[in-house]
Amino acid sequence: MLVDIWEGVGARAEAERFREIWGIEGTILLDENADYAQLLDIRGVPTNVLVDSDGTVQAVGLVRLHELEAGIDRLVGR
Amino acid sequence: MTEDQLEGYAVGAACRVDLSTVSRTIAEIPVGLDPEGVAIDTERRRAYVACSRSDCVTVVDLDELEPIATVAVGKEPIDIVFDAASDRILTADARSDAVSVISAETLTVERSVPVGGYPSGMTYDPAGRRLYVGNSFGSTMSVLDLDTLESIATVDAEPGAGAIGLDADRGVVVCVNFVAASATFVDAERLEPTGRIDLGTGACAVGIVPERGEAFVVNSLAGTVSRIDLGTQTIVDELRTGQAPVGLTVAPAHDRLYVTNRGAGTVSVLGVADGTEWAQIPVGGGPGGVAVDPSDGRVLVANAGSGTLTIAEDLLAGPPPTAASEPLHPLVGRTLPEFSLVDLATGERRSSREWAERKYILNFFASW
Repeated sequence: MLVDIWEGVGARAEAERFREIWGIEGTILLDENADYAQLLDIRGVPTNVLVDSDGTVQAVGLVRLHELEAGIDRLVGR
Repeated sequence: MTEDQLEGYAVGAACRVDLSTVSRTIAEIPVGLDPEGVAIDTERRRAYVACSRSDCVTVVDLDELEPIATVAVGKEPIDIVFDAASDRILTADARSDAVSVISAETLTVERSVPVGGYPSGMTYDPAGRRLYVGNSFGSTMSVLDLDTLESIATVDAEPGAGAIGLDADRGVVVCVNFVAASATFVDAERLEPTGRIDLGTGACAVGIVPERGEAFVVNSLAGTVSRIDLGTQTIVDELRTGQAPVGLTVAPAHDRLYVTNRGAGTVSVLGVADGTEWAQIPVGGGPGGVAVDPSDGRVLVANAGSGTLTIAEDLLAGPPPTAASEPLHPLVGRTLPEFSLVDLATGERRSSREWAERKYILNFFASW
């Protein structure tokens, strides 16, 4: 799932525009005031948060593609 | 040591590092929406910050550490330059396909100069009196006379042409092409391309160290900085930096680079000679443009996410005894806090409980 933060004004319109440009079909959630991001201490974008089936956070960050792929492999137990 | 004495020490590292010996934050100043570029007027003790979602330049007093004025410019100003000789501030207004020219004395816009499609990067040659503008949608580089602002040439580059660096000693201009993930080398005299090089994914910022004959290019998606030999036009090293680096500037002493990590809210300090990461300096959310005040060495960072300008002191005299390491996020190993957020598609609130007992990834992003 994507979580859109830090748009400033017109977050919905900006997120919709982004979705159209990149052809995103998955779920996009809006965190307009970045309150949830702040709760998680998210300090940059993009940031990936990998969550296990018991709700435990397995990794945060993983922007480099090979790191994300490795993180996903660990998450799904490959 | 008591808890109070331990405050300021990074937790989780192999050895505790006293953060106060690495850097010190002087101020974090609200400046506007999505600040991307920053330039410094040493004579007036001001910083000029291009706020791309506010369509303005915010003027910050560097002694009082507060904003003192805003100047409305074109749409989505991304990069910014201050030319002391003409006493002008110039912004690359991406969605206006133009450069705004502002009098630094009166803080009024004098004119708007058309350039190519979506100008996203800019640099200038104060001695040669030229302005170079990378036009991302036009895949070109515009060259303007810095005094008359007349067009001298339009040079073919590649898709995503943006950040530009100049080696005035060798007469080489380096135009970084984000979409093409490449750099175009241009002869500064003839204004003709002389070569190109493939770079990492998301190449987006450049700095030059002329005495070494090297250019350093940030690869944002690869998370590296490429060291390029300007004589052979080849990559000779890849320097590791933080998550999603997007901005770069060379320190005045040319001994280190400052690289902003948009994905981490930090600035990496990279040694030019040894190519290692000396430290990560914490700044605001989603940092982008970076500049160094030559009068005091302070590092100024435009933070697109938090809408602030960070002013920090780099306290490192040289390479530290141990290289920097990426700290583990405090959330790892803990239960994700519940969320309730609006779904863009339906307008309805979605709760984390919907995904209970499932494995998933939350990708925090901004459209810029």
